[in-house]
Amino acid sequence: MTLEQPLAVRPPRTLAEAAEAHLDDVLGYLLYLTRDREAAEDLTSSTFEKAVRLWARFDADRGTARTWLLGIARTTALDWFRAESRRRKREAAAALPERVDEAFVEGLSPALEAGLSSLSAGEREVLVLRIVLELDGDATARVLGISPTAVSTRLSRALKRLEERVNEG
Amino acid sequence: MTVNDIVDELRATRPRPSDALRLQVMTVAARPAPRTPTLRERLRGRRRLALLVPAGAAVALTAAVVVGITRSGSTGQVQSAAPDAVRSAATGTTERSLAAPPPVADATTALKGATPTPIGGRAQRYSAALSLQVDDTDALSSATQQALAIARDLGGYVVSVHYATGDGGAAAVMLRVPSSNAADAVTRLSGLGTILGQNVQIDDLQATLDTLDRREQQLRARIAALTAAIDQADTDAERARLEEQRAQARAALRDVRTSHAATSAEARNATIQLDLRTKQESGVAVPGSRLDRALDKALAVLAWEGVVLLAVAIAAAPFALVAAAVWTTRRTRRRREEDRLLATS
Repeated sequence: MTLEQPLAVRPPRTLAEAAEAHLDDVLGYLLYLTRDREAAEDLTSSTFEKAVRLWARFDADRGTARTWLLGIARTTALDWFRAESRRRKREAAAALPERVDEAFVEGLSPALEAGLSSLSAGEREVLVLRIVLELDGDATARVLGISPTAVSTRLSRALKRLEERVNEG
Repeated sequence: MTVNDIVDELRATRPRPSDALRLQVMTVAARPAPRTPTLRERLRGRRRLALLVPAGAAVALTAAVVVGITRSGSTGQVQSAAPDAVRSAATGTTERSLAAPPPVADATTALKGATPTPIGGRAQRYSAALSLQVDDTDALSSATQQALAIARDLGGYVVSVHYATGDGGAAAVMLRVPSSNAADAVTRLSGLGTILGQNVQIDDLQATLDTLDRREQQLRARIAALTAAIDQADTDAERARLEEQRAQARAALRDVRTSHAATSAEARNATIQLDLRTKQESGVAVPGSRLDRALDKALAVLAWEGVVLLAVAIAAAPFALVAAAVWTTRRTRRRREEDRLLATS
C-alpha cells in the first residue's frame, strides 16, 4: 500500500510532471482549434514556455493542472488567431491564397475532417474539450470563461452542425 | 453517420505529439522557473488584504470599548469623601460634587459616608447644594414639606421657599441648620428623591476667629494703656488727644466684636440649598450605571466610526463605479472580440 496519490488525482509537484501528463491534451486542443499541425506544435511549445514563467502562480485549489494549461493554451491560440487575422488581411490585399491544412488530425475520415474544417474555431474548441479531451462541463466552462449552460448549448449546436456537414458530404 | 459515430471516431483518433515535440516540451518544462513570488508569498499578500477588513473591524470595536470604559467615570468617589472632609480642616476649604451619585435605593446609606462633616472644635462655614428629581407634582409637594420638617427637626429653620407647578414642577428651598447637624440634614434630604447633583463646601473660619480674638485683646490692652495715660496727662491738650485715640480704639473694638459675632453665627449654622424637580421639569438626564455609560460611549464611538467609514465610502464610490464600469466594458469587449475571432477562423 502506498501513501502517495496516483498522478491523475494528486496535483503535479513540478511543471515537468504536468507536461508529461497533459502534453497530449494541449496539443490536441490546439490542433483542433487551429487545424494546422505545424502551428499547433509551435503553440504547444509556446504554451509551455509561458507555463514555465507562470508555474509559481499555479494553485491546485483553484483548478487542475490540465485546465490551467489549457487556459494558457487558449490565450496563446487567441494571440495566434489575431496574428493570423492580420496576416490574412494582408494576403487578401495581395491576392495570395489562404493556407489550408486539410489533414490536421491523423486517422480521421475525410468526411469528418471536412466537416470539422467547415466549423468555426469556437465550435471546434468546445468539441475538442468535451468530446476528444473529455473534460466535464465545469472544467470546460473554466477554460472557455463561460457558464456550464453555455458550454452545453455550444456543444449541442456544434455536434448538430457537424453531423449535418458530415452527412451532406 | 450519427452523432455517436462521430464521437467514437473523434475519441479514437485523439492526436498524439511527435517525439520531437515531446522532447522539446519536456526540455522547456524542466527548465528552472524564473524567480517570481511563490504562491505562498502571493497568497500571503492577498490574505493580508483579506484580513484588513476583519482586523479593521476589530480595531474599531476595541477602540470603542476602550473609550467607553475609560470615559464612563466611576461611582467609587463616594467612598473617598470622608478623607476629603478631614483634609478640609487643614487646607481651609473643601468643595465636593457628586456628578454621578448612586441610585436612590442606596443613596442615603452611601451618603452617610460620602457627605463631608464639620470638624468638631473648629469654626467652619458649611454650605451644601442638593439637586433632586421626584416623580411628579404630588411627590414634589411631599418632598418640599418633608424638607421643611427635616430642617425644624434638626433645630434649623427655613430661609426661603420657591415652589411652582405646571406641566411639571420645581421647588427651591434654602435651609439653615446647626452645623453639627449639617451632614445628617444632607443625608436625610438626599433620600427625598433621585440625586441629580450634590455640592458640599466647607470653609474653615477658625483662623479668622483667632485673628479677631488677637485683635480684640490688642485693642483692650491699648484702651487700658490709653486710660492710664489719660489719668496721668499733664495738660488738657494731651488728655484730649489721648481720649480721642481711646475713642478710636473702642470703635475698632466694637467692629472687631461685631465681626467675631457674625463669623461665629456663620459657623453655628450651615446653609443648605435644595432644588427639587419633577421628571418632566428636569432637564438633566438621570445618570445610569457605569456599564450603561460605557455602552453609550462605545456606541457613540462606533457610530462616529461608521459615519467616517460611510463618508469614505461615499467619496470613493464614484471612483469605484467608474473603475468597475471600465473593467466590465474592457472584459465584455475582449470576450466579443475573442468570440468573433473564433467564429470566423
